[in-house]
Amino acid sequence: MKRTEAFDFYQPATLQEASQLLKDNGPGGRFLAGGTDLVIAMKEKGLLPKYIVDLKRVPGLSGIRENSDGSIAIGALTTLYTIETSALIKKKYPFLAQSAAEVGSIQIRNRATIGGNISNASPSADTSPALVALGVTATIASASGERKIPVEEFFKGPGQSVMNADEILTEITIPKTAANLVGEYIKFSPREMMDLAYVGVAAVYNLAADKKCTGVRIVLGAVAPTPIRAKRAEAVLEGQILSEALAEKAGQTAAEEAKPISDVRSSADYRRAMVGTMTKRALLNAATGPAKSWYDRRDRRY
Amino acid sequence: MSEELTVIGKPVTRVDAYEKVTGQIVYGYDLTLPNMLYGKALFSPKAHAKIKKIDISKAKALPGVVAVVTGADAPWTHGEAVKDKPFLAHGKVRYIGEPVAAVAAEDEDTAQAAVKLIEVEYEDLPVYIDPEEACKPGCVEIHEDYDGYRKAPFMVRGAAPNINEHFKLRTGDVAKGFAESDLILDEKYYVPIIQHAAMEPHSAHAQWDKESGRLTIWVANDAPFRALHEISEALAMDKEKIRFINPAQGGGFGSKGGLKCEPIAVALAFQTGGRPVRVKFNREETFISTLTRHAATVYCKSGVKKDGTLVAREMTIYWDAGAYAEKSPTVCIRGSLPAPGPYRIPHVKVDGYAVYTNKPVAGSYRGYGIPQGAWAGEQQMDELAIKLGMDPIDIRMKNIFVEGDMSYWGEQLHAVGLKETLIKATEAIEYGKKSPINKPGLKIGKGFACIQKPTRSPTTSNAGVTVNAQGEVTVFAGTVEIGQGCNTILSQVAAEELKVPMDKVIMHQLDTDVIPYDASTTSSRSTYHMGNAVRSASIHAREQIMEAAAPMLEVGVQELALGDGKVFAKDQPQQSLPIGEVVKRKLGINGVVRGEASYTYEIGKDLDLETGHSDHASAFYMYATQAAEVSVDEESGRVRVLRMSAAHDVGKAINPLNCEAQIEGGVVMGIGSAIHEELIIDATGKVRNPSFLDYHLVTSLDCPQLIPIIVECHEPEGPYGAKGLGEPGLAPTPAAIGNAVADAIGIRIYDLPLKPENVFWALQKNKKSAA
Ligand SMILES: Cc1cc2nc3c(=O)[nH]c(=O)nc-3n(C[C@H](O)[C@H](O)[C@H](O)COP(=O)(O)OP(=O)(O)OC[C@H]3O[C@@H](n4cnc5c(N)ncnc54)[C@H](O)[C@@H]3O)c2cc1C
Repeated sequence: MKRTEAFDFYQPATLQEASQLLKDNGPGGRFLAGGTDLVIAMKEKGLLPKYIVDLKRVPGLSGIRENSDGSIAIGALTTLYTIETSALIKKKYPFLAQSAAEVGSIQIRNRATIGGNISNASPSADTSPALVALGVTATIASASGERKIPVEEFFKGPGQSVMNADEILTEITIPKTAANLVGEYIKFSPREMMDLAYVGVAAVYNLAADKKCTGVRIVLGAVAPTPIRAKRAEAVLEGQILSEALAEKAGQTAAEEAKPISDVRSSADYRRAMVGTMTKRALLNAATGPAKSWYDRRDRRY
Repeated sequence: MSEELTVIGKPVTRVDAYEKVTGQIVYGYDLTLPNMLYGKALFSPKAHAKIKKIDISKAKALPGVVAVVTGADAPWTHGEAVKDKPFLAHGKVRYIGEPVAAVAAEDEDTAQAAVKLIEVEYEDLPVYIDPEEACKPGCVEIHEDYDGYRKAPFMVRGAAPNINEHFKLRTGDVAKGFAESDLILDEKYYVPIIQHAAMEPHSAHAQWDKESGRLTIWVANDAPFRALHEISEALAMDKEKIRFINPAQGGGFGSKGGLKCEPIAVALAFQTGGRPVRVKFNREETFISTLTRHAATVYCKSGVKKDGTLVAREMTIYWDAGAYAEKSPTVCIRGSLPAPGPYRIPHVKVDGYAVYTNKPVAGSYRGYGIPQGAWAGEQQMDELAIKLGMDPIDIRMKNIFVEGDMSYWGEQLHAVGLKETLIKATEAIEYGKKSPINKPGLKIGKGFACIQKPTRSPTTSNAGVTVNAQGEVTVFAGTVEIGQGCNTILSQVAAEELKVPMDKVIMHQLDTDVIPYDASTTSSRSTYHMGNAVRSASIHAREQIMEAAAPMLEVGVQELALGDGKVFAKDQPQQSLPIGEVVKRKLGINGVVRGEASYTYEIGKDLDLETGHSDHASAFYMYATQAAEVSVDEESGRVRVLRMSAAHDVGKAINPLNCEAQIEGGVVMGIGSAIHEELIIDATGKVRNPSFLDYHLVTSLDCPQLIPIIVECHEPEGPYGAKGLGEPGLAPTPAAIGNAVADAIGIRIYDLPLKPENVFWALQKNKKSAA
């Protein structure tokens, strides 16, 4: 591993100060959260930031909070381990907890933050599909104010987002959802863990007692430059009674909507086929309740 | 001695457990030396090219740089079987990753920066990726001077270009055999390149002292005496002038024999005015520039009678050697010889070709050629059985080697525990019983595979054992603790023979200045060879102590016995002396009794180069059967191993705990090679996945329930009846899994790895052709 080039390191105590540092010091600066993407990029991929602004001293950026309107806010610096083990998230959105639990290893999840996972804008980021599926809003702050944007519109390409260099992701908000909302995230990769998603699928819908599905959201990871919604696949199930045949059809439609590439990990054709299989499974699994254990989660991928 | 064994056969805790678990041990990669310089190499970006020009002036001018060397400063070549590998490229490069030049500097970053300043001009030559292509008539020789190289006497040059070894086995008449067969199968199998991926990457430290003319090399090399010989031969330097010191080794699996970082460190050390140089490869450099396991293309044709009797087997194996011969010739010989499998077959023909290509160098890898042959042969055994409507167990039982059988290479076999391994391994996974798992789209299957593995022969191990006046025992053995547990095993042997507690035994650090010669820590040879040497050396020390004790206790030597660290009279046990006390009375408070021994397994006739026959090809043979239960997800192609049993005939388990650990470790590696691992090399010769991100080793979560089974078929020549164990642990694994997958989905897959995508497309193809 390479020793990094010299850089300036700041630890501001307020958001205002943090954003101002980026403005004043000009291009070439980076925010630091858990560092599990940034430090690797610096040590192994030749990234040379001129300066680094650590966000961990800024108070109020981490934690999970239920608002009076039924929405849930998650601070950007909340670790994936916190999300994976949060009683609230596990109860209301077990598939989101599950997507956080799919990341790397316990050591990584203890440092990695949800804000970092989103801001890094990797097409294969594990939490993104579930967040897009939940219609989450991102709060972005800078010295000159704050704006809110749906996570669905946040990503622009691999490593690219709508954020300007001086903007900080402070929080994400899960809007109030129906009581009968169900969901599932499936990460498909050759290894059981410690692998990147070859395909990631989040499926979310409101499930009525008669198995009618509404508000269907299907979001695909790792098969396009950004996480994408498979809107035609969603339409296949929308307002319909869930069945194996429909799930299969939705899967096939999602496969058509995916825009995968071929690389050393997998061919595009295989990724596309797996979008079909995993979308079907995610839709069917969602209706059966959350996975009970890691083994259960593993077996549900098959 | 006929007394009961006290520590042999007991599950003793590893003697190195504490220092490894607490992180106190110093591995080669961790070592720092006073006043040390940091070496970095420039690696070739071309798979096959002439070097037109190298300009090192800019690198030399960089502040902090002490030495820059190229092939011109290091005009030496080395190689065990073939002396074909330059210390640094000489005039041409033969693979991407070949060291071309190197820099020593005050710190690593400066060395790396200087390497980037070296300018090299190349002129492209044709690149050969596929060994079968590389040996077609008209191909350019990757080694144009091959015929002039020094080669081992047992080598046979192939008739076509780029073949560095052609092994032939000829028994009976295969044409006649096939004519007599009721069923013939003929298939092509493929095993890709994989890598050892030892946790500790490669490194070497070297220092040259001009005054004394001594060259010292600190390296975690698993065959320091062989490496010393190779360096001495290359430099034409007296052996006494060279010293190898082994820091602890963090795994090797075959990758750390031979010379890797050593030549670079040595070339630099001659230019640094006596300052030591460290050369350390990072993971990517380890992937591209150290060693890989041979890809193999195996053509396998078998003829059987209706009742399952094997009549003939013909195999042609192309071993992809990569750019230099390294251990390819011996992998080709020892992998091709038993490739037809552990069966009585009257007509056998094997042609093994080790072929140069423009790829990273292939060499020894745990299993030494056995997994590749077994992947073909053992799958074909199942195919034959299925076609004949027989149970795969029955067809093997009909043909399998048993005690006293004559092998197809002309050696009569003894201590054959194969049948017992087959029965126990298959029973352990309830082979033949249907799985209770019932999930749509999830297919369950069971399969197994058998192997027989020889060990490198003939070889020698020497050992010294001292007992001091404090009753402490020191073992001087050249076996390298590479994680396999030899320090524990050899300590047990000394403790047993001298009847001292385990904590009184110390293994001396490996230093070629003080440790007597040992051939190598390879080929599962150490428990047997070094075990015998340490045992005899301990007995030698014991005899001296007994002789000294006899007058002290006023009884005859014959009346004396050892126990609990004491010498005592057999009929009057209270009349005793601690062994240290005996040494003290005889030699004083600083006295030391030293036992010495040498063990060589003498083979009979050398291998016949025309027929491959030998009446003693190996000191002993290791036998194993592994059985797997797998699930295959038909919609994704994912293969999951649900449980895996591994029954290994070890002769005698000196330490059952260590045996089980070796078996488990082997199986885990084998599962990786069966399902995940593959070094992907493109048409230009570039490794596309030289990192753990995309070169997939299995993690604990990918491991099934493992059922290690120890079978003990006493080997009369081995210490306490022991054979060896380290290498076979993964040899039958892929074939067993392949057979289980075929059982699950009814489709035979001929190419490894069985990664989800490959299995998926095989299933799709089958679906299409069925439709
Ligand atoms: C071994 C290993 C395995 C991994 N496995 C997975 C995996 O399976 N799945 C997966 O999705 N990821 C994986 N990752 C990637 C990584 O762990 C996650 O993306 C993680 O969530 C990043 O969070 P972080 O806090 O460490 O981000 P950092 O590395 O600190 O930051 C990442 C990027 O986001 C920016 N940034 C961070 N926080 C903010 C903010 N609040 N506002 C603005 N910009 C910000 C940084 O400037 C940087 O560019 C793995 C990483 C490693 C090292």
